[in-house]
Amino acid sequence: MEIIVCVKHVPETAEAEIAIDSSGKGIKTEDLVFDINEWDDYAVEEAVLIKEKLGGRVTIVTVGSEDADKTLRKCLAKGADRAIRLTDKAFDGSDAYATAKILYGVIKDLPFDLILTGTQAGDDGYAQVGVILAGFLGIPHATMVKKIELMEGFTRVNRELEGGLEQVMEVGTPALLAVQTGINEPRYVSIMGIRKARQKELKVLGLNDLGLKEEEVGESGSWITVEEMFIPPVEKEAEILVGGLDAISSKIVETLRARGLI
Amino acid sequence: MTELFVLAEHRRGELRDVTFEMLTKGRELIARADVDLTAVLLGHNVKELAIRLADQVKKVLVVDDARLKDFNEVAYQKVLTHLISERKPVLILIGHTSFGIDLAPSLATKLNVPLATDCIDINFEEKKPIVVRQVYGGKVNIKASLRTSESYIVTLRPATIEAKEVKPIGGEIIEVASPLKEEPTTKRFIEYFEPPAGEVDITAADVLVSVGRGIKDADSMPIVEKLAEALGGAVACSRPIVDKGWLSADRQVGTSGKTVKPKLYLAVGISGAFQHVSGMKNSELVIAINRDAKAPIFRAADFGVVEDLFKVVPILTDRVLQEKKSSK
Amino acid sequence: MEFELTEEQEDIKNAAREFAEKEFTAELGRKIDEKYEFPWMLYRKAAKLGFIGGSLPEEHGGQGLGCIEDCIVAEEFNRVDSTCAHLLSGIGFAALVPKFGTEEQNKKYVPRICKGEIVCAMALTEPNHGSDAGMVGLETTAVKDRNEWVINGAKTYITCGEEAEFVMVCCQTDPNAQPPYRGVSMIIVEKGTKGFDTNSLKPKLGFRGAPQAELSFDNVRIPLGNLLGQENRGFHQIMSYFDFSRIPIAAGAIGIAQGAYESSLKYSTQREQFFQPIANFQVTQFKIAEMATKIETARLLTYKAAWLVENKPEQRRLVTKISSMAKAYAAKISKEVTDEAIQIHGGVGYVDSDIERHYRDTRINDIIEGTGEIQKYIVARECYREIGFSV
Repeated sequence: MEIIVCVKHVPETAEAEIAIDSSGKGIKTEDLVFDINEWDDYAVEEAVLIKEKLGGRVTIVTVGSEDADKTLRKCLAKGADRAIRLTDKAFDGSDAYATAKILYGVIKDLPFDLILTGTQAGDDGYAQVGVILAGFLGIPHATMVKKIELMEGFTRVNRELEGGLEQVMEVGTPALLAVQTGINEPRYVSIMGIRKARQKELKVLGLNDLGLKEEEVGESGSWITVEEMFIPPVEKEAEILVGGLDAISSKIVETLRARGLI
Repeated sequence: MTELFVLAEHRRGELRDVTFEMLTKGRELIARADVDLTAVLLGHNVKELAIRLADQVKKVLVVDDARLKDFNEVAYQKVLTHLISERKPVLILIGHTSFGIDLAPSLATKLNVPLATDCIDINFEEKKPIVVRQVYGGKVNIKASLRTSESYIVTLRPATIEAKEVKPIGGEIIEVASPLKEEPTTKRFIEYFEPPAGEVDITAADVLVSVGRGIKDADSMPIVEKLAEALGGAVACSRPIVDKGWLSADRQVGTSGKTVKPKLYLAVGISGAFQHVSGMKNSELVIAINRDAKAPIFRAADFGVVEDLFKVVPILTDRVLQEKKSSK
Repeated sequence: MEFELTEEQEDIKNAAREFAEKEFTAELGRKIDEKYEFPWMLYRKAAKLGFIGGSLPEEHGGQGLGCIEDCIVAEEFNRVDSTCAHLLSGIGFAALVPKFGTEEQNKKYVPRICKGEIVCAMALTEPNHGSDAGMVGLETTAVKDRNEWVINGAKTYITCGEEAEFVMVCCQTDPNAQPPYRGVSMIIVEKGTKGFDTNSLKPKLGFRGAPQAELSFDNVRIPLGNLLGQENRGFHQIMSYFDFSRIPIAAGAIGIAQGAYESSLKYSTQREQFFQPIANFQVTQFKIAEMATKIETARLLTYKAAWLVENKPEQRRLVTKISSMAKAYAAKISKEVTDEAIQIHGGVGYVDSDIERHYRDTRINDIIEGTGEIQKYIVARECYREIGFSV
């Protein structure tokens, strides 16, 4: 099995303070910790699990700066076999569409039986790249994938729908599957993995290597342009209970009693 | 006159709420432009749904084909590509749902039409759509424009716009012959799969103690179970708990789980991503416990406790038990 | 001059941090602290990922890494939770086996340690002898009787003494040696050997995830082949081992300080007094500045010591001196920083937070593997030696 996994190096913002940068179109990232996008971590795990079962090779591809090597090395340490980083000044400002074009630029020439991505990224949350890439490659796709069974010539997947329901689909292979969190349990990076990763290939390619023109990527090759970033207005704010654990507990109990909930 | 398409979303014979939310937004948008609002319904034996839609919109395009019975992106994409190429709507609204996520980017790529996904608002400025989206887990928003084009596709996040229904207007239902030629072979719908239901129905509980990532460890679950027991309620959870396998999927509250409206929703260690909030925001009373004072859950709660859940929950449990004892 | 970690070290740091942040919950730390339990489950998980035995040789299942990597793991683990990090005590002295042991001993014990199946311990301290053990002799004796050693005596404060599958026991094998340390040998005693008994020591201030025990030896008969290293060279072996084993201890102390500092930093921006965050007060700012400076200083010293072990092992005296400085200084500032962290947290820090546990936990760092006083003596001895004066 030749499996390609597309990953993204993103800032962890769940517990961080966020501030808008001087351009007014992005956030300040100097003090943020970057790591592999949570969804992509599941995609990498799924790829490595498939490889461990069926044999083959896992190739990681990302579009990003040199900093993204941290994420690539992590993927290699988790069991991927090689990594390709697509880096070029011209790629700055690419939206999901332009990013998919960049990925297509390299993947079109690689052998693959399966492409895995996360369903979305935790930073911009477009949930587009995988499907657009599948469109460029002319292969079928499925998103929100919670279960993958590989068969001869097709794969049977469970797609997550709203309300706890799943949809079972059969998708012809080669296919692109965008996975949902919870499809597996991503492993930790082991020291053995880190040591092995040192021997693995990490290749860097740019605009010219991909045969792309400058106007096809970056902001000019994008569908979407960010005009402005702003902190969302606060519509409702909880009354924060204070005064120590006992006082807080008493206040809650009082509230519940007043409403007949106790 | 040009049109604004709203793609009706339905599953198992029922229109999904997001359809009406999009129609509401669509109505608002056409009020300021010379555009017709058109609902697009793809399915099989969907007459009733078409009638229901025609109550709300002047024009309903219906494509009836057995191959459209259950959502299949390949079939949907082919039919919509045909309709859009024929009718050149200025805007196509699709729900940012599991269906929309599968369909919209594929449709946009096929048509080379700019797409903005997961939008919480959309407006037209100088005939170009300007969208508002949440990024970085809802901590900041962006306003974005789309590349100039004849048509645009926008997916709207469900449960962000309040659906408003108008008095039935008895709109026109237009049947369009299905352009599908052969059965889509690259992708086939097999069946719906409902993960086996557990013993507890969280949608029926008056009191829910809901636990999130903050619990950190499966071994710590008993502390929330004890609180739920003291309150005579059930334990629910947010997505990470199900992803980790600590509770079964039927306990999950949120877009991909259950929508609940208990009398009391006690959120313990839940950050409050919109996917979660949309499943619990209609609860009567919401109390949130979270260490992070900036957690979005506090914007969905009536009362907040900014504390370590491991400290608050046991004390609160004791206090509730005391209260119950003394009131007996 | 280079002050940066290599890419591989950076990856190890990230991996250790991620593992600790996900697995070391404060709740678990509190449980371990309450029950005086060695964290077996964490130990096994960490072993599976190669965090145990990082510096043990690859041919026996270790990772073949160095002192710097051991420090990185110790620091990252302790930063997240000082009590969960006690899992690292399980391998305490395991490196003595590859360093001095026979092929057979290596094969028997080291792979099982690396897999997280067993823990081991080293027993030097006795009820009447600790720091002075080398100068006045040990009361635990081992006497040859045909093809066996017969051990009698007692040891105390032995970390993981009860949990250990085997204990490397320092015994006086030549009672007439002068100075007495020239008559000390290390002998491997396995758990369950007849006449060998352990008793867990409670209560204790902190460090409870690494239970300590007293050991008694009543005519314990051990095959001669269980001698670790050379006969009567045991004390030298231990001392040369301490030169680098104390460096990860220093790194652990720094990790605890770092964690306490980070909590204080955050808390000071949230806690309001006189209508503003206490971070606005210069008195708080100065505390934070002092804490940060102490941590950074200790870290520089500690990683310099680790670097020397890796890069200048031939400069044995320098390694001894700097590693002692690092251990003494890191242990000292870790006490001070966790103390100040409690002060910044106020009542919350004293009564109802994990800070008090970290404060209790770090106290041991100034005692184990040579007290702060012994470290300073070593430093002073080396300083005077440099000008040819003997103290």
